[in-house]
Formats: sequence, structure tokens, C-alpha cells
Amino acid sequence: MNAVVFDIALTAYIVAAAAALASLVWRRDGLSRLARELTVGGWLCHTAAIVLRGVELRRAPVLTLAEAVSLVIWLAVLLDLWVERRYGVTTFNAFILPVVLALGLGLPTGLRDLALEPRTSSAWILVHVALVLVGLSALVLNFGSAIMYLLQERQLKARRPGTFYYRMPSLETLDRLTLMTLTAAFPFLTVGLALGFVRAGRAWGRDLVGDPLALFSLVMWLVYAATLFGRVIGHWRGRRAAYFSVAGFCVLLATLGAGVLFQGRHGS
Amino acid sequence: MIERLFVAGLSHRTAPIAVREQLVVDEDKLREILADLTGRGTCAEVMILSTCNRVEVYGVAEVAGEARGAAFRQMGAHRGIGLSTLEPLLYSMDGAEAVHHAFRVASSLDSMVLGEPQILGQVKDAFALAQSCRTVGPVLHSLMSQAFAVAKRVRSDTEVGRHAVSVSFAAVELARKIFDGLDGRSVLLVGAGEMGELAARHFQDQGMLPLFVANRTAGRAQALARDLAGTAVPFEELASVMGQVDIVITSTAAREIIVTAAEVARVLPGRRGRPLFFIDISVPRNVDPAVNDLENVFVYDVDDLRSVVEANLRERKRQAQQAESLVEREVTKFADRLRSLEVVPTIVSLREKLEEIRRAELGRTLARLPGADEVTRQALEALSQGIVNKILHAPTVKLRDSSKAGHGHRWMEVISELFGLGKSRGGPAA
Repeated sequence: MNAVVFDIALTAYIVAAAAALASLVWRRDGLSRLARELTVGGWLCHTAAIVLRGVELRRAPVLTLAEAVSLVIWLAVLLDLWVERRYGVTTFNAFILPVVLALGLGLPTGLRDLALEPRTSSAWILVHVALVLVGLSALVLNFGSAIMYLLQERQLKARRPGTFYYRMPSLETLDRLTLMTLTAAFPFLTVGLALGFVRAGRAWGRDLVGDPLALFSLVMWLVYAATLFGRVIGHWRGRRAAYFSVAGFCVLLATLGAGVLFQGRHGS
Repeated sequence: MIERLFVAGLSHRTAPIAVREQLVVDEDKLREILADLTGRGTCAEVMILSTCNRVEVYGVAEVAGEARGAAFRQMGAHRGIGLSTLEPLLYSMDGAEAVHHAFRVASSLDSMVLGEPQILGQVKDAFALAQSCRTVGPVLHSLMSQAFAVAKRVRSDTEVGRHAVSVSFAAVELARKIFDGLDGRSVLLVGAGEMGELAARHFQDQGMLPLFVANRTAGRAQALARDLAGTAVPFEELASVMGQVDIVITSTAAREIIVTAAEVARVLPGRRGRPLFFIDISVPRNVDPAVNDLENVFVYDVDDLRSVVEANLRERKRQAQQAESLVEREVTKFADRLRSLEVVPTIVSLREKLEEIRRAELGRTLARLPGADEVTRQALEALSQGIVNKILHAPTVKLRDSSKAGHGHRWMEVISELFGLGKSRGGPAA
């Protein structure tokens, strides 16, 4: 049952993404309204799917990697809706939803098989997972706003208004959004990962070094830490900061990929 | 009613400026023509819209061709242009098409610069002039108030009027794409060129402060700074001021580059990544094009701003499609309403006629019943009213429905004939 509801939500996201992109290209307000309504509808279905899964399995629905990604999507869409409302950036979902979908469509493949044994699930692990998930979903938004910044900056530098020019917010707004999402994500990511390392260090001992998910997570954390450091100490703004955010997200995707391909201790 | 509505005229689409300028007449002459057209009975209602891009007569007339000829003969006569010269340039429309045209003109969809805002004011002025001459009747009144409402909706619901179509406004709009709001941003104006000053004023209108002015001649800088309520800065300190402001407008007569990439690169570290926007309105250019390659710095010269304006015009055209369909829907609605209005006089006189009969018959009956108490009187009153209302119901519905279907006239005649209503009242004088 929860899988069916989840598929409905995913379908709504797909159509919403198409409508959002079309509204960006053709500049039609009707399409952008449709996109927002579908996003809200999809998100409500998604909420129902997560609750149903928890009820059907009689456990917290966050223990498999697939469930984790699903939660990242759920949080990212919620944050996207909030940002659109708060900052009036109506085109945001055109950049967030495709990322969300790329993650969501990966679910049926490798991700579904990967699971933590329910018996290993302790409160520690739940907190570790929850914190990391909140961090990751804010990073999805960080990536979206960085991409928007780079596109808009390119158009302004080229001095010829292109397709996206008319519906994009100002560079400063986008830069602020990129910084804000990164600052929001970083503490969650840091504490979440730290908990994971401390806990796994005790439980697995030397095996921790060989766990690909743990290793990639560390690299990802370092890239984002460097970006934040550059922004705060080096006063990086604009393009350079945006490139770093994109790089960080690439490592994030690689981390998820590594989690699927080489299961390491996370999978056992 | 709607069938007798017409519009006739010429515009930038049909007539060259050489002809249009000849037709410009002053207000007094317009009043004269308006009074003459209605006075002689050529038109029941009339108004004349006269701008530098169009001269149009809107009116209600039995014979539209006659009214059109009379109006343009008089306007041409002013400068000695015969009607035969004007005729081939004139277009005319009537009925729903005239409504469509009026709505498009007021919404600026027929303007030379698509979406320009002045035309609505000009239509309003023309309407006010006709009103003061008492040549406006119910048809023009409802047509124009609806045209104003449609124009307002087109403005708010579509983007036809958005996106700057002048170079100096394009600069302001670009600044909004770079900065998160313009309030409190500072501007440096270099040189005393007219375009530069205009752009600076546009920025000031957005609530931006403070403004710095630099010029090679210190006196000019001071005078201009006074004019614009800004601060004059010495030309030699240009670089250090550049480090603080957000927007630099250059508009000098200098033959060489004033702002080099190396200079700008030097001030960048102190700006801590805050964007810097150069608007170079001078020809030859004052800002080295290589400045645009620096991080967080944007340089637009006159050609760049013009290409933005062109792109904006193309964008307005795209958005105009939406406005056109909005206008079409409004025309249908308006035509339906006008048609339903034309049967109103018949319904009213039918009601009056029956009411008259009722009162007469009731009076006669009551006279024959001197002893009738209040209860009986009231019962008779209610009875007669009930009968009248029942009789009225079917013809009223029939008239309303048939007017919506577009053949209200036939039923108006039939009902007038059947009930002996005579000539229906309230229609425009023929």
C-alpha cells in the first residue's frame, strides 16, 4: 500500500517538475501555479506513504537507504515550498524537483535492497540518521540555488537576456539562499556524521576505515566545510562559492552511489 | 444597439506620420466637431481620440459611413486635406469588432511600443472631453468604462507592460537582477552626459541613496551634484569611491577609457565580493570591456542595454498573446451584456403597460365596492399583481434569452406589436 501511495507522490513530482520547467521556459504563470499545486499534492501523498510504511512495518521508516533517500526528498520538497513562500522565489521548484526526482527514481533499483538490520537500530543510530537526513535535504536546496546562481550570472555576464533571465530572482538573493542553506545544513551534517563515526568506531573498530559510505561522507563533509570556511573567512561570494556547492553535491551523490555499490559495514 | 456602434480612423499602422501630424487639432476644434456631429444628428453619441499615433472616431450612428466621412472631412479641412486623400488610409469597424478594437487600443495592444502606458490616459482624456461636450450616451459610456477595466486587467494580469523598453529603465531593471532590492544602494555618476543624468535620476526614483558625482571640471560636478541632491567627489578619487558604491554610471565625452580592468581589480578585495555594476552610456566607451571578466563585476554599454531593450520588446510580444485572448473573452462578455441591455426598454414598457391596466381596472372595481374593508382591498391588490407578474414572466424570459442568442430585435417587435407598446422607448434617437 505505501509503495502505491509513494508512486502516486512520485508521479505528481514528475508532472510538477515538467510544469515548473515549462513555466520557466515559456513564462506562463498558469503553469507555475499548476507546478506548485502538484508539488503540494505530491508532498501530502508522500507524507501519507511514509506514515503508512511505518504503520505497515511496525518500525521507524528510516532504516534502509531507500527510506533515508525518501525522507531526504520529503524534507527537501518541504523546504523548497517554504523558501518559495518566504522569499518569493517562484522558480525554485524548477531546479529542486529534477534533483529530487533523480534521487527518487533511483529508489527502485539498488537502493531498496540496502537495509540496516532492525535489531541494530538503536536510538543512537536513529539520531545519527535523522540529523544527516536533515543536513542532506538542505544541501539539495543548496545545490539548486547554486545552479540557479550560475545560470543567472552567466546570462548577466553574457549581456544577452536568455530563456531564464525573466523569471529568475536577483543574484544577491540566490547567493544569500546558497549561503543560508549551507549554514543550515552544516551543523546537522557535522553532528550527525560525528555521532555516526563515534558510534561506528566503537562498534566496528578498524572496519570503519574500510567502509565506503563512511569514507565518502568524510570527503563530502570536507568539501562543504571548505566552502563554508571560504565564505565566512575568505568572503567568497557568487560564482566561486556556487562552484564549490556544486562540487560538494557531486560528492554527496557519489557517497550515495558508494553506499549502493560497495555496501561495507553500513549494509550488514 | 451594439450594431450601431462604430469606430473609424487611422493609426501608425495605416498612415504615415506626414498625414497623422496634419490631423492634429486643438481641443476647441475637437469640441466643435463633436458638437457638430451630434447636433446635425449624424451620430447619436461620439468621441474622438486624437494622439500622435492615431486619430479615431468612436460613435453610435445609423449610418456609420456618413459619420466617418463627416468627422474626417472636418478634421482634414483644418489643414486643407481632402477626404479623398484620407479615405484610403481609414479603417472602420462596427459592432463587436469595434468593441474589440476599443479594448485593444485602451490596453495598449495596438500601440507602436507594445504595452506603453500613455495610451490609456489619452483614451480617458478623449472620453472626458466628449463627456464635457455631452456627446457621450449610454453605449459609449459602458464601452469606455469597460475598456478602462479591461486595460487595467491586462496591465495587472499579463506582462505586456512589464520589462523596460528604454535604455535608462533597462539599466534599472538589470540592477534589480543583480542586487537584492535597490533601496540604500549607492550610485557614482561620472561625467555630465544627459543620458547619464537621466539614468541617475531613474535610480534615485527607486529610493537609492547616496549619489556621488565626479567630473573632470570640479565646477560641473558641483553643479550637477546640487541638481541631483548628491555629493561631488574629486575626479582623482574615482578609484576609491568605486570601491564603496554599488553602481557606476559613466557618461563622459572622453575619447579614451577612464576605468581600466587593473583599477577595478585593485578595489575588489576591499568589496568582499559585493557585486559592482557598471553602466557605460558613453560613446566611445569609458569602461574597459575587460572589466566585465572580473568576478562579481558586470559591465553594460549602450549596445548591451539596447539589446536588452530589444529582448524585452520580444518578451512583451510573447506576453501579448495572453492579453489578446483576455481581451477577446471580455469582448464576448461585453457584447452579450449590451445585447441584453437593448431589450430592457421593451421589458420596462411592457411592465408599465400592464401596470397601467391593472391600476385602472382595480380602481374601477373598488369604486363599485364602496363597502369593501381593508382585507378585501388588499386581497384584490395582491390578486391583480399576481396576475400581472404571471403574464409578464414568459415574455420577459423570452426577450432575455433571444437577446443573448442575438435575435432580440425580432421578439422586441413582436411583443411591442402584440401588446400595442408603440415605439420602444429608451433606444438611441435615430
